[in-house]
Amino acid sequence: MPSSHHLRCLVVLTLALSAISSLRAATTIIRGPYLQSATPTSMVVRWRTDNTEPSIVRYGLTRTALTTTVKAEGITTEHFVHLGNLKPNTRYYYTMGAEPVARPAAVGTKKAGAATPAAEAEDGPGRAPTSSFVTPPESGSSQPTRVWVLGDPGTKGDTQRAVRDQYYKFTDKRATDLWLLLGDNAYPDGTDTDYQKAIFEIYPETLRTVPVWSCLGNHDGKSANSITQSGVYYNAFTFPTRGEAGGVASGTEAYYSFDYANTHFISLDSHDSDRSLDGAMMTWLKADLAATKRDWIVAFFHHPTYTKGTHDSDKDSDSAGRMNDMRQNFLPVLEAGGVDLILTGHSHVYERSFLLDGHYGKSTTFNAATMVKQKGEVRADGVVVYRKPRARTAHFGDINVVTGSAGHAGSKTKPPALNHPAFYISLNEAGSSVLDIDGLNLTLTFLNDKGEQRDRFAIIKE
Amino acid sequence: MSHRATLFVLALLSATTACAHPEIQDALDRLTTALAATPNDASLYAERGELYAQHEDWLSAEANYLRAAELAPGLPRLARARGSLALARGQVSAARGFLDHAIALAPSDPTAFILRARALARLGLTPDALADYTQAFGLLAAPSPELYLERAALFASPADALRSLADAFVRLGPVMSLQLRALDLEISLSRFDDALTRVDLLTSASERRELWLKRRGDILVSAGRQAEARATYVAAQTAIAALPAWLAASPESVRLSTELTRLATTSP
Repeated sequence: MPSSHHLRCLVVLTLALSAISSLRAATTIIRGPYLQSATPTSMVVRWRTDNTEPSIVRYGLTRTALTTTVKAEGITTEHFVHLGNLKPNTRYYYTMGAEPVARPAAVGTKKAGAATPAAEAEDGPGRAPTSSFVTPPESGSSQPTRVWVLGDPGTKGDTQRAVRDQYYKFTDKRATDLWLLLGDNAYPDGTDTDYQKAIFEIYPETLRTVPVWSCLGNHDGKSANSITQSGVYYNAFTFPTRGEAGGVASGTEAYYSFDYANTHFISLDSHDSDRSLDGAMMTWLKADLAATKRDWIVAFFHHPTYTKGTHDSDKDSDSAGRMNDMRQNFLPVLEAGGVDLILTGHSHVYERSFLLDGHYGKSTTFNAATMVKQKGEVRADGVVVYRKPRARTAHFGDINVVTGSAGHAGSKTKPPALNHPAFYISLNEAGSSVLDIDGLNLTLTFLNDKGEQRDRFAIIKE
Repeated sequence: MSHRATLFVLALLSATTACAHPEIQDALDRLTTALAATPNDASLYAERGELYAQHEDWLSAEANYLRAAELAPGLPRLARARGSLALARGQVSAARGFLDHAIALAPSDPTAFILRARALARLGLTPDALADYTQAFGLLAAPSPELYLERAALFASPADALRSLADAFVRLGPVMSLQLRALDLEISLSRFDDALTRVDLLTSASERRELWLKRRGDILVSAGRQAEARATYVAAQTAIAALPAWLAASPESVRLSTELTRLATTSP
């Protein structure tokens, strides 16, 4: 019989071996991968692991030939790898780590709960160790583009999931080319845990295959600071600051711009950056608008210029005047710069304007006769059509869309007024917006959490 | 505000928050519930004060900060928050006092240095303000362009302001808002060659060269170099002609082209 000393040694040895084994196998991806700062020739891949390890991405043009390896310096848990010299409009397959990592297969839908490894996250198939993305096409080229627009999504609740799932059903095999988060991405406080539960565990499949862009919302701003470029939002995202994705160098991730095909996207910080007429954001915006040659200009920011939803743009105290600032200071500049579409959130409803110009006051000053440039023609398929000249024309009109209900809508028992006269349609419904741009046609569809297409409009340039 | 007044305002707040700020209602509710459970938790009062301050409800913010200060005068976040509030309310000397204390408690807090720099600038203590901006820049991984512009605005001499922006270009690259400020400063100093160098950099980086060429022409006129100015205005017209037809035909392009024709032919 073995002595007690031998038994103790055996136990210690077993524990030690077990510990070594668990150390070697312990590194788990707990966030991502996710794609950032996409340009026609580059992509940033980010992810988080539970233990430190080198940041390595292997990629290639086929799933079975990941022939190129990029390794960032050092070891970390927050991984950031820049892939350069890529070909435009090309699908690349990629994986993280020196060797392929086997991941368990997906098993049903999992409610967001305690720390969920990325491999077990919930939003689709594709738990294979190799993911893929398609680089954006050459700037200026014309290519059908699908953009998924989510305002105020991060409630972590059933409504957020229903909105997500209805979009997946709607888009089906049509790939999403990019997605926009309009702020308030992670309730209630935009903390790292909020982001983990509200974004990274809700949309992992989209995150690993489609580049995501965002603007700062007030709830994100509780854990972030634009002037110091610090906090959870700024740590989680990587946006272009030097004009590397198209547009003019802003020097900050708080506001920036980028091109996708023939569209120029502008992200503004309506929450925490200087919104004055002579502020740096305004100076940058004017230069950025003047510099673009793209057919379409789409601006997005969190606080709406007009709303009578769960917020009221007529109340000076609502949101500490941020809606006033965006309407009175920024909207005239955007309209002078020929912006076609303005996407905002904050108000948890869907409100969509006529083709408008020149409404910078309270709703009582709205004058349909002078400010509504086009009411829109309803086509046989129900799409409301607006027409603009291709030659960019200041103050020809733009459409303002408040789509801030990707996480929840306003109260059903005390419904919002939804009576702002600038809007063609106002809905107290949860949902997301789908923006399709194909050459000189732009179409936006509001898809509610039941899968119904509740509004569709098009701008046609000719 | 007296202790009794503080408690009165806080009591009033708890009764009126339901209609005050719909966007922060959930957070206020959570904090109020938490305070009911732990009524002596100073950090909850501080957090509630910050929430009100974010929405520019100064009175409510102050009432919460005062209560937090009664409970825990040494709470690190409180001094900074009270400094920020005092600054926002124009109580600059008080702000400085709070921020001195905040920096003593947390000497690696860049936000406290930025806030104190603003307070010192408003007190006319420019060298001290500049020193605080420098401290903040050293603590930040990526200072925003706004901070560099704030610092540059403190210099009485345009040449010193320009020098202060040089560091920004090294750290942030050729940021547009900073380039334009530097350009204005070069022109104010009649350093036209340096201004032209900056414009050339902006032109080469831009997809649309015509506006920058127009600016180049204007600088050459200011420098008395009329012939070069005329040639540059013509180059700007050529740049417009090279745009895609739909963009060259836009009203703004046509307007600019007309102006360039006038400038190219009428410049002395």
